[in-house]
Amino acid sequence: MFDPIMEQILSIARDAWAFMAGLLIVVALLGGLYYILQGTAGMAFGGSRMTSMAIIGVVGLIIIVLFAFLFLPQLGEMLKSFQPKPPF
Amino acid sequence: MSEISALLLTFLREAWVALAGAFIAFALLAGIAQMLRVSSASVLGANLWVWESISALISIVVLGLFAFLGIPQIVSALQSTLPGAGGCGPISELGTLASGLIGGLAALRMLKAAFITMFSASIGGASSFANALIESGEALFGMILASAAIPLAAWFLGTC
Repeated sequence: MFDPIMEQILSIARDAWAFMAGLLIVVALLGGLYYILQGTAGMAFGGSRMTSMAIIGVVGLIIIVLFAFLFLPQLGEMLKSFQPKPPF
Repeated sequence: MSEISALLLTFLREAWVALAGAFIAFALLAGIAQMLRVSSASVLGANLWVWESISALISIVVLGLFAFLGIPQIVSALQSTLPGAGGCGPISELGTLASGLIGGLAALRMLKAAFITMFSASIGGASSFANALIESGEALFGMILASAAIPLAAWFLGTC
Protein backbone atom coordinates (compact mmCIF):
# COMPACT_ATOMS: atom_id res chain seq x y z
CA MET A 1 0.00 0.00 0.00
CA PHE A 2 2.83 2.39 0.87
CA ASP A 3 5.26 1.08 -1.75
CA PRO A 4 4.62 3.79 -4.42
CA ILE A 5 5.06 6.54 -1.80
CA MET A 6 8.21 4.87 -0.50
CA GLU A 7 9.63 4.68 -4.02
CA GLN A 8 9.06 8.41 -4.45
CA ILE A 9 10.62 9.24 -1.08
CA LEU A 10 13.63 6.99 -1.73
CA SER A 11 14.13 8.49 -5.18
CA ILE A 12 14.17 12.02 -3.69
CA ALA A 13 16.50 10.82 -0.91
CA ARG A 14 18.90 9.28 -3.47
CA ASP A 15 19.00 12.55 -5.41
CA ALA A 16 19.58 14.50 -2.20
CA TRP A 17 22.38 12.09 -1.21
CA ALA A 18 24.11 12.50 -4.59
CA PHE A 19 23.78 16.29 -4.39
CA MET A 20 25.17 16.47 -0.86
CA ALA A 21 28.01 14.07 -1.60
CA GLY A 22 28.95 16.24 -4.59
CA LEU A 23 28.71 19.37 -2.46
CA LEU A 24 30.92 17.77 0.18
CA ILE A 25 33.57 17.01 -2.44
CA VAL A 26 33.40 20.59 -3.77
CA VAL A 27 33.70 22.07 -0.27
CA ALA A 28 36.60 19.72 0.54
CA LEU A 29 38.39 20.68 -2.69
CA LEU A 30 37.92 24.38 -2.00
CA GLY A 31 39.13 23.88 1.55
CA GLY A 32 42.14 21.93 0.29
CA LEU A 33 42.95 24.72 -2.17
CA TYR A 34 42.71 27.28 0.62
CA TYR A 35 45.10 25.29 2.81
CA ILE A 36 47.55 24.84 -0.07
CA LEU A 37 47.48 28.60 -0.67
CA GLN A 38 48.07 29.16 3.03
CA GLY A 39 50.93 26.65 3.05
CA THR A 40 52.68 28.07 0.00
CA ALA A 41 52.29 31.62 1.32
CA GLY A 42 53.76 30.49 4.62
CA MET A 43 56.68 28.82 2.86
CA ALA A 44 57.28 31.91 0.70
CA PHE A 45 57.82 34.28 3.61
CA GLY A 46 59.18 31.78 6.12
CA GLY A 47 56.03 31.32 8.20
CA SER A 48 56.73 27.80 9.42
CA ARG A 49 53.75 27.74 11.79
CA MET A 50 51.42 28.82 8.99
CA THR A 51 52.75 26.05 6.75
CA SER A 52 52.48 23.38 9.38
CA MET A 53 48.92 24.48 10.24
CA ALA A 54 48.03 24.27 6.55
CA ILE A 55 49.45 20.74 6.30
CA ILE A 56 47.52 19.69 9.41
CA GLY A 57 44.38 21.28 7.91
CA VAL A 58 44.72 19.31 4.66
CA VAL A 59 45.24 16.06 6.55
CA GLY A 60 42.22 16.82 8.77
CA LEU A 61 40.08 17.58 5.75
CA ILE A 62 41.05 14.29 4.09
CA ILE A 63 40.20 12.43 7.30
CA ILE A 64 36.78 14.15 7.49
CA VAL A 65 35.92 13.28 3.89
CA LEU A 66 37.10 9.69 4.27
CA PHE A 67 35.09 9.42 7.50
CA ALA A 68 31.97 10.72 5.71
CA PHE A 69 32.28 8.36 2.75
CA LEU A 70 33.29 5.26 4.70
CA PHE A 71 31.41 5.66 7.98
CA LEU A 72 27.98 6.74 6.70
CA PRO A 73 27.39 3.76 4.34
CA GLN A 74 28.42 1.45 7.19
CA LEU A 75 25.99 3.24 9.49
CA GLY A 76 23.24 2.72 6.91
CA GLU A 77 24.05 -0.99 6.66
CA MET A 78 23.99 -1.27 10.44
CA LEU A 79 20.61 0.47 10.72
CA LYS A 80 19.25 -1.72 7.89
CA SER A 81 20.28 -4.83 9.78
CA PHE A 82 18.56 -3.48 12.90
CA GLN A 83 15.35 -2.56 11.03
CA PRO A 84 12.64 -4.09 13.24
CA LYS A 85 9.55 -5.95 12.16
CA PRO A 86 6.26 -4.42 13.40
CA PRO A 87 6.07 -5.21 17.12
CA PHE A 88 2.25 -5.44 17.09
CA MET B 1 -14.71 -7.62 14.37
CA SER B 2 -11.59 -9.77 14.05
CA GLU B 3 -11.50 -9.14 10.28
CA ILE B 4 -11.64 -5.38 10.83
CA SER B 5 -8.92 -5.68 13.45
CA ALA B 6 -6.72 -7.71 11.09
CA LEU B 7 -7.28 -5.23 8.25
CA LEU B 8 -6.41 -2.22 10.40
CA LEU B 9 -3.37 -3.92 11.87
CA THR B 10 -2.13 -4.87 8.39
CA PHE B 11 -2.46 -1.23 7.37
CA LEU B 12 -0.54 -0.12 10.47
CA ARG B 13 2.16 -2.78 9.88
CA GLU B 14 2.69 -1.58 6.32
CA ALA B 15 2.92 1.99 7.58
CA TRP B 16 5.54 0.86 10.14
CA VAL B 17 7.67 -0.82 7.46
CA ALA B 18 7.45 2.26 5.19
CA LEU B 19 8.29 4.63 8.04
CA ALA B 20 11.25 2.50 9.12
CA GLY B 21 12.61 2.48 5.55
CA ALA B 22 12.22 6.24 5.22
CA PHE B 23 13.86 6.63 8.65
CA ILE B 24 17.04 4.90 7.41
CA ALA B 25 17.13 7.08 4.28
CA PHE B 26 16.77 10.29 6.29
CA ALA B 27 19.27 9.11 8.91
CA LEU B 28 21.89 8.83 6.18
CA LEU B 29 20.92 12.21 4.73
CA ALA B 30 21.15 13.75 8.19
CA GLY B 31 24.57 12.17 8.62
CA ILE B 32 25.92 13.56 5.36
CA ALA B 33 24.38 17.00 6.11
CA GLN B 34 26.26 17.08 9.42
CA MET B 35 29.48 15.90 7.75
CA LEU B 36 29.13 18.69 5.19
CA ARG B 37 28.76 21.13 8.05
CA VAL B 38 31.84 19.69 9.79
CA SER B 39 33.99 20.01 6.68
CA SER B 40 32.87 23.56 5.86
CA ALA B 41 33.20 24.66 9.50
CA SER B 42 36.67 23.17 9.83
CA VAL B 43 37.79 25.01 6.69
CA LEU B 44 36.33 28.25 8.03
CA GLY B 45 37.87 27.64 11.43
CA ALA B 46 34.52 27.67 13.25
CA ASN B 47 35.25 25.37 16.18
CA LEU B 48 31.79 25.65 17.72
CA TRP B 49 30.09 24.52 14.51
CA VAL B 50 32.39 21.52 14.33
CA TRP B 51 31.52 20.42 17.86
CA GLU B 52 27.81 21.05 17.29
CA SER B 53 27.89 18.90 14.17
CA ILE B 54 29.82 16.11 15.86
CA SER B 55 27.33 16.03 18.73
CA ALA B 56 24.46 16.09 16.21
CA LEU B 57 26.07 13.14 14.42
CA ILE B 58 26.30 11.22 17.69
CA SER B 59 22.67 12.04 18.49
CA ILE B 60 21.66 10.72 15.03
CA VAL B 61 23.31 7.38 15.81
CA VAL B 62 21.70 7.27 19.27
CA LEU B 63 18.28 8.17 17.83
CA GLY B 64 18.62 5.44 15.19
CA LEU B 65 19.48 2.87 17.83
CA PHE B 66 16.63 4.06 20.05
CA ALA B 67 14.14 3.89 17.17
CA PHE B 68 15.16 0.45 15.98
CA LEU B 69 16.10 -1.27 19.22
CA GLY B 70 14.23 0.64 21.96
CA ILE B 71 10.79 1.34 20.50
CA PRO B 72 9.91 -2.28 19.53
CA GLN B 73 10.93 -3.48 23.00
CA ILE B 74 8.89 -0.76 24.74
CA VAL B 75 5.83 -1.53 22.61
CA SER B 76 6.14 -5.28 23.16
CA ALA B 77 6.47 -4.77 26.91
CA LEU B 78 3.49 -2.45 27.11
CA GLN B 79 1.35 -4.55 24.81
CA SER B 80 1.75 -7.48 27.13
CA THR B 81 0.22 -5.35 29.92
CA LEU B 82 -2.84 -4.47 27.83
CA PRO B 83 -5.70 -6.80 28.73
CA GLY B 84 -6.85 -8.33 25.47
CA ALA B 85 -10.17 -9.91 26.24
CA GLY B 86 -11.92 -8.80 29.40
CA GLY B 87 -15.22 -10.57 29.83
CA CYS B 88 -17.24 -12.12 27.04
CA GLY B 89 -19.44 -11.20 24.11
CA PRO B 90 -19.01 -7.92 22.25
CA ILE B 91 -17.00 -6.32 25.04
CA SER B 92 -14.40 -9.05 24.70
CA GLU B 93 -14.10 -8.50 20.96
CA LEU B 94 -13.97 -4.75 21.44
CA GLY B 95 -11.23 -5.20 24.05
CA THR B 96 -9.15 -7.30 21.66
CA LEU B 97 -9.63 -4.77 18.84
CA ALA B 98 -8.82 -1.84 21.13
CA SER B 99 -5.67 -3.38 22.61
CA GLY B 100 -4.33 -4.27 19.16
CA LEU B 101 -5.06 -0.82 17.78
CA ILE B 102 -3.67 0.99 20.83
CA GLY B 103 -0.42 -0.95 20.56
CA GLY B 104 -0.12 -0.32 16.82
CA LEU B 105 -0.92 3.36 17.04
CA ALA B 106 1.45 3.94 19.96
CA ALA B 107 4.27 2.16 18.14
CA LEU B 108 3.67 4.21 15.01
CA ARG B 109 3.51 7.42 17.02
CA MET B 110 6.85 6.72 18.67
CA LEU B 111 8.48 5.89 15.33
CA LYS B 112 6.91 9.01 13.77
CA ALA B 113 8.39 11.17 16.53
CA ALA B 114 11.83 9.68 15.90
CA PHE B 115 11.36 10.12 12.14
CA ILE B 116 10.43 13.80 12.45
CA THR B 117 13.46 14.45 14.63
CA MET B 118 15.68 12.71 12.09
CA PHE B 119 14.02 14.64 9.24
CA SER B 120 14.76 17.96 10.98
CA ALA B 121 18.38 16.88 11.42
CA SER B 122 18.62 15.93 7.75
CA ILE B 123 17.61 19.40 6.61
CA GLY B 124 20.28 20.90 8.81
CA GLY B 125 18.12 21.78 11.80
CA ALA B 126 18.86 20.92 15.38
CA SER B 127 18.43 17.25 16.12
CA SER B 128 15.85 17.66 18.88
CA PHE B 129 16.21 14.29 20.52
CA ALA B 130 14.23 15.56 23.52
CA ASN B 131 11.10 16.04 21.38
CA ALA B 132 11.18 12.42 20.25
CA LEU B 133 11.58 11.27 23.84
CA ILE B 134 8.70 13.48 25.04
CA GLU B 135 6.37 12.18 22.33
CA SER B 136 7.42 8.60 23.07
CA GLY B 137 6.69 9.23 26.73
CA GLU B 138 3.22 10.55 25.86
CA ALA B 139 2.48 7.44 23.78
CA LEU B 140 3.78 5.25 26.58
CA PHE B 141 1.61 7.04 29.16
CA GLY B 142 -1.41 6.64 26.87
CA MET B 143 -0.80 2.90 26.69
CA ILE B 144 -0.53 2.66 30.47
CA LEU B 145 -3.80 4.57 30.84
CA ALA B 146 -5.46 2.29 28.28
CA SER B 147 -4.27 -0.78 30.17
CA ALA B 148 -6.20 0.53 33.18
CA ALA B 149 -9.19 1.85 31.24
CA ILE B 150 -10.05 -1.32 29.30
CA PRO B 151 -10.75 -3.51 32.39
CA LEU B 152 -12.63 -0.62 34.01
CA ALA B 153 -14.83 -0.23 30.92
CA ALA B 154 -15.42 -3.97 30.84
CA TRP B 155 -16.40 -3.92 34.51
CA PHE B 156 -18.66 -0.86 34.04
CA LEU B 157 -20.43 -2.26 30.98
CA GLY B 158 -20.88 -5.59 32.67
CA THR B 159 -18.93 -8.77 32.11
CA CYS B 160 -19.81 -12.43 32.34
